[in-house]
Amino acid sequence: MIEVERLSKSYGAFRAVSDVSFHVERGEVVGFLGPNGAGKSTTLRMLAGFLGPTAGRIRVGGHDIAEEPLLARQKLGYMPETSPLYPEMRVREYLTFRAELKRVPRRVRKDEVERAAVDARVDDVAEVLIGHLSKGYRQRVGLADALLGAPPVLILDEPTAGLDPNQIREVRSLIKRRGSEHAILISTHILSEVEATCTRALVIARGRLVASGTIDELRDLRRAQGARITVRGDERRALEVARGVRGVERASVEDSSAPLPGTVVLAIEHGAEGGPEVTEEVVAALVKAGIGVREVVARAASLEQVFSELTRGENEGESEGGA
Amino acid sequence: MRGFWPIFKRELFALFVTPLAWVLITAFLFFQGWHFYIIVVNFAAASGEALGDTGPVQAFFGQTMLLYLPLLVICPMLTMRLFAEERRSGTIETLLTAPVGAPAVVLAKYAATLATYAAMWAPTLLYIVIIARTGEVDWRVVGTSYLSVIAIGAGYLAIGTMTSALTNSQLTAAVLSAIGLCLLFLFGLGEFVFPDGPVRDVATHVSAWTQMNDASRGLVDSRRLIYDATVVLLPLFITVRAVEAWRWG
Repeated sequence: MIEVERLSKSYGAFRAVSDVSFHVERGEVVGFLGPNGAGKSTTLRMLAGFLGPTAGRIRVGGHDIAEEPLLARQKLGYMPETSPLYPEMRVREYLTFRAELKRVPRRVRKDEVERAAVDARVDDVAEVLIGHLSKGYRQRVGLADALLGAPPVLILDEPTAGLDPNQIREVRSLIKRRGSEHAILISTHILSEVEATCTRALVIARGRLVASGTIDELRDLRRAQGARITVRGDERRALEVARGVRGVERASVEDSSAPLPGTVVLAIEHGAEGGPEVTEEVVAALVKAGIGVREVVARAASLEQVFSELTRGENEGESEGGA
Repeated sequence: MRGFWPIFKRELFALFVTPLAWVLITAFLFFQGWHFYIIVVNFAAASGEALGDTGPVQAFFGQTMLLYLPLLVICPMLTMRLFAEERRSGTIETLLTAPVGAPAVVLAKYAATLATYAAMWAPTLLYIVIIARTGEVDWRVVGTSYLSVIAIGAGYLAIGTMTSALTNSQLTAAVLSAIGLCLLFLFGLGEFVFPDGPVRDVATHVSAWTQMNDASRGLVDSRRLIYDATVVLLPLFITVRAVEAWRWG
């Protein structure tokens, strides 16, 4: 439903998006994951036809966005990041305007507006001026707009940003419910969001696609973690012991954070296979070597670490590249 | 022209649910009412022989500066929000990702201001009715005068539409188009200033003053209508290209 081939976008010398390729099929909910400024919104804007790519091809619903822009956009429900709306219109007026603009046939237009408003949970504010709505409601009016006309492709740029936890849950369940009827691409910088709603994820960093895979594969990346161990004793000896344990990929001394004189903090990292057992073995080895263990804190890799891991992997030629 | 009709309706809606259009129309009608009043009082005071064959309708449309002055201010204010506001608030993104082409967007927005402009003039027909009850009205003059007023305004609004697409500040858009319109108008007055030669010919050709003066005597010069059409089409064409160019920003 969405086919992207070697997509690039440059602003002068700055490459915002570089050589990105992927596909999204009907029935898939794909998370587009990346830190702020990675090129997520730029890519989605190109998919929606708002920005022209510097190079590459985009097909939406079988139509090339450059050659048949109107047909391609007709297949697409797009919700921009900040969900910009006309403050002087009432919600129902706005959705009716958008439905007409999207060529929803006149005889079903009223029902379609009603359905989208109910789905996005904005039916209770249908007669309220958009300018008077809270951010959460505006966000969902934008979502209702994207749902109008049941387009086969949905592109949602950070659909849950600015919502409270209940609203986030509702929006996620809506996306899940709709997953089978559409090809959905949602962008986010929250890993748990992808875990909650998506069947597959694309990870973008500095304009490049650095990984793609199912949620299980992503979870494995996340399990690649380690521990921080505060020890008392000789730091070189402690490092030696820790590095000697099978499964430890990296061990180093965090010089900044020694809590007490005479103690050091060791940071150890191990691969996805080992898990907490490796930490256990490191602690056992340290104790056996006569080094006092004061504190052990398991450390889950943060999203930033996953990203740095992924971009490092790319430089070593380990990334999977496209989808 | 997919998308023309819904955008046209929304623009009219936006103009009339906010105070802007009402304020502009009210100010315009106050001004023209005062203008018409002065003319009628003058005609009532003057004796028949001093007037020649000029009537109050001719004077209203063809012989005073007061006809144009409000247009130079009101046209830029009618058009200033068209694109500038959509770009400032970001709604342009939802608009341009809907299945509509740039020409439809530009024409629909422009047409909405033109319709508002026409609505603004409509109540002045009452002046004609008042004159018709007390004297004779040359309906040909009325026809050509309104045609010219609409033709000149159409050009002014097209220029305003263009400047609104060139900036994302309403104020800048309004100031730019007001400056442009004033320069165009002043250049037209050059026909009374410049010595004989090509510059004066051009000035005469673009002169709104002469166009209205002719119209107030029942004359419509097809060359002027072609000029008016140019002033409408060229800015609108540039606007369409500007809207298309945003994709490549």
